[in-house]
Amino acid sequence: MPTAILATKLYVPPPRANLVLRPRLIERLNGGLSSGCKLTLISAPAGFGKTTLVSEWVAGCGRPVAWLSLDEGDNDLACFLTYLVAALQTIAANIGAGVLRTLQSPQPPAPVSVLPILLNEITTLPEDSVLVFDDYHVIDAKPVENALAFLLEHLPPQMHLVIATREDPDLPLARLRARSQMTELRATDLRFTRAEAAEFLNRMMGLNLGDADIAALEARTEGWIAGLQLAALSMQGRSDTAGFIRSFTGSHHFILDYLVEEVLQRQPEHVRNFLLQTAILDRLSGPLCDAVTAQDGSREMLETLERGNLFLIPLDDQRQWYRYHHLFAEVLQAHLLEAQPDRVSTLHRRASEWYEQSRLPPDAIRHALAAEDFERAAGLIELAWSAMALSYQSSTWLGWVKALPDGLIRIRPVLSLGYAWALLDGGELEASEARLHDAECWLDTPTDKMVVVDKEQFRSLPASIATARAFRSLALGNVPSAVEYAQQALELTPEDDQATHIQATSLLVLALYASGDMEAAERSLADFHTNLRKTGDILTLIGTTFLLADIRVALGRLHEAESSYQHSIRLATGLGEPMPLGTADLYRGLGELYLERGDLEAAAQHLQTSQTVGEQTTLTDWPHRLCVSQARLKEAQGDLDGALALLDEAERVHIRGPLPEVRPVPALKARVWLKQGRLAEAQRWAREQGLSADADIRYTREFEHITLARVLIAAGRSDREAGSLDEATRLLGRLLQAAETGGRMGSAIQILLLQALACQAQNDLSNALPPLERALALAEPEGSVRIFVDEGEAMRLLIEEQSRDRGHPLSAYADKLLAAFTQPVAAPRTPIIHHDSDMIEPLSERELEVLKLLRTELSGPEIAQQLIVSLHTLRTHTNNIFKKLGVNNRRAAVRRAEELALF
Amino acid sequence: MKSDKQTYDERHNQPQRYEIRIKGHLDDRWADWFEGLAITLEEGGYTLLTGPVTDQAALHRLLRKARDLGMVLVSVGPARPGQADAPDVE
Repeated sequence: MPTAILATKLYVPPPRANLVLRPRLIERLNGGLSSGCKLTLISAPAGFGKTTLVSEWVAGCGRPVAWLSLDEGDNDLACFLTYLVAALQTIAANIGAGVLRTLQSPQPPAPVSVLPILLNEITTLPEDSVLVFDDYHVIDAKPVENALAFLLEHLPPQMHLVIATREDPDLPLARLRARSQMTELRATDLRFTRAEAAEFLNRMMGLNLGDADIAALEARTEGWIAGLQLAALSMQGRSDTAGFIRSFTGSHHFILDYLVEEVLQRQPEHVRNFLLQTAILDRLSGPLCDAVTAQDGSREMLETLERGNLFLIPLDDQRQWYRYHHLFAEVLQAHLLEAQPDRVSTLHRRASEWYEQSRLPPDAIRHALAAEDFERAAGLIELAWSAMALSYQSSTWLGWVKALPDGLIRIRPVLSLGYAWALLDGGELEASEARLHDAECWLDTPTDKMVVVDKEQFRSLPASIATARAFRSLALGNVPSAVEYAQQALELTPEDDQATHIQATSLLVLALYASGDMEAAERSLADFHTNLRKTGDILTLIGTTFLLADIRVALGRLHEAESSYQHSIRLATGLGEPMPLGTADLYRGLGELYLERGDLEAAAQHLQTSQTVGEQTTLTDWPHRLCVSQARLKEAQGDLDGALALLDEAERVHIRGPLPEVRPVPALKARVWLKQGRLAEAQRWAREQGLSADADIRYTREFEHITLARVLIAAGRSDREAGSLDEATRLLGRLLQAAETGGRMGSAIQILLLQALACQAQNDLSNALPPLERALALAEPEGSVRIFVDEGEAMRLLIEEQSRDRGHPLSAYADKLLAAFTQPVAAPRTPIIHHDSDMIEPLSERELEVLKLLRTELSGPEIAQQLIVSLHTLRTHTNNIFKKLGVNNRRAAVRRAEELALF
Repeated sequence: MKSDKQTYDERHNQPQRYEIRIKGHLDDRWADWFEGLAITLEEGGYTLLTGPVTDQAALHRLLRKARDLGMVLVSVGPARPGQADAPDVE
């Protein structure tokens, strides 16, 4: 369920009608924009007119503006990113749609991993635009600060970032200043000058003050705009302005205090009451204020206050929502606390009730907590759990639940369960168990002390507890108990609770997969898919297909893997645009299958399609998987250096997901090194990973152990020492047994081949042929080719030896394999480009020059400098290059150019 | 800003007493706002807020409150003995 987006946070405040124009500041801001600075920082205390200035500036800067007014809730990274996308969508309707879907998918990735995708999309914006973060000082969460730093670091040239804040942000400001990448305005720049103060007081506010009075006011307020505004309000309609100015400038009072007092005293009592009672609200609307003040007529009141310049700021064009200027609200709240301390919680409770009826749970919860009405808050928090868990905002939810008294939580089993899940999401495994235990107690001995608000969730409580325990066991690496809990959860899940069913099944499959029991994993997942087809949950089906296919490949059932890919591709293309999440993985997996069968051309085509589909919308861990698949293709094409480069890239874009890492990149690299004869490097890898022939055999390390066997065989071949070959033989024997136990025929074939090679290295041909024969028999029905060809010349000789017996039933297959060995392995120079036309327009000399620089670490402005062109001209070049290469970002352009051998 | 004495106090879980000086004379109503710190008006138009501060996190919270009111911060430091103090509220 998507988070409700508050449009008021995205509202670009229009420049105010009566405004002191500040050309000296606007010019500086425009200067920064036109010189290609990436950041404008406006850093000054409250009341210095930051928002007003930025709104005046962006209204006239001629660029589309995305505006985000931040609040405390944006300290949740998922929430921040959701609003960031929503803000960008106000200037480009479709931007970030995939990112939003990813953030709200049932198993969302780490939010920070979606930033690169979002940045790529910003590069496709047709015109230069401005992104404003207002009130950035409310952010104090490290993940959000890191996200901002990343955003700024990689900001495409067509986006200019503006930050307005009371506190310097955690960014490399000194470096940005030194490189002139930032325009900066601070309190000194923002203070009203004497002339501005005069214009404001006399022309805007219609006071007729002499120079001496203006000078006195300007000196007393030190040009602080909020102070001058309050002073002006206090003087309007006063006959004795001179007296006011004398007392004000002669007092040592804290200005804000003094002046708000003055302003409040000048209001009729009903207005003063309204101001105090509504000061507890972050946002004000007529109906909400009616509810809080228990009176009618708030809408008119709000309009009156706005007309009277009483620090009320509209948040939309319809005059539905407003907020008080932060400073004014703070002082009003202090006055309220003093004047009506016992009213405060009543006001908050009324606000909470209104928000609850308006279906805005977050605000309802915040006000219930502020009212210290914990019973009410606990009920609301319990009901909010299932929606928030799905939208990846468990950290916000966790903040609320932690504000509740513990005793109140413990008598609520559903709330305790939500608490446990939120703790699990945050990696607090120990604390979560205590909460699960609390929830469980009520199942055994329900009494009338128990409180349940969300009856629906309570029905699934036993299943949910078991699911949470399965998740926890998996996180602790305790695979057997994860399997046990997940099985228990499935048995306990009510017939119609699809969400818990999906969760429990996914965990069971993951646990079985991690334990290496592929046959059981395949059974559960295949049953699950049958169930998904029945319930019509096509998206989950598509999203989990590559896992099912991977498991089938591990079982050595390539045909079945292929048919599940084909089936899901048919479903996905049937759904039309935009392709569902996970579609890119279908093409990628199918590409790997073609690779295994030795059809390099079809493999390359499918990987290319995966890339095209994936760049539109994707799971965030897909780029890593694609790089690994592309590396395997390069390896098959005989381009080992290219394969290594792609593996490095895979490491760079790697994001840890819920899947166990069964093909770790360092091991894949070690395999390529062995092919290159770089034995010492491969041996160093084995040492660094702490691998040994006698270590425990676990499925999650199987790939590394098989690679270790390769390293040992290579060492044995080179030093003719039997020692390492004996080690290899011993290790392979144990690996084979483990693989057969788990039904992993894919692994078994590999191991058998290595056994044959180990014997061959010892010149023991009679013992080399039987395992080879078994491998051939297992692989033949599925048409595997790569698995043999990958082992190189030594394997070719063995197969030749084996196929001397022409009457052998496998001799036709052996011939096919031998033919595959002798295929030319040079990388094809003409990649397949999926385009409207197969002809790509050639790049001009200048574009080639730019392309070479794109391959470097230089930033856009640095490249422009080097070529002695403006940033605008450079952008025209890069856009043309991207268009011709059919890509939409720098990295993809470089990679495509490498594929086309343009360097 | 972290003196040896303060580390010692924090280690012994004694809330350290702090004084925060701001520009302008504050009304008494802000005593609640500043979580029970004593408000003392000083010559030259300064206000001294004095009282026990649980730990660094609590200190930063107080400073943020001052920031959000647009107050000008003059000095922050451990309180000298003999300073006025807020009555202990148990």
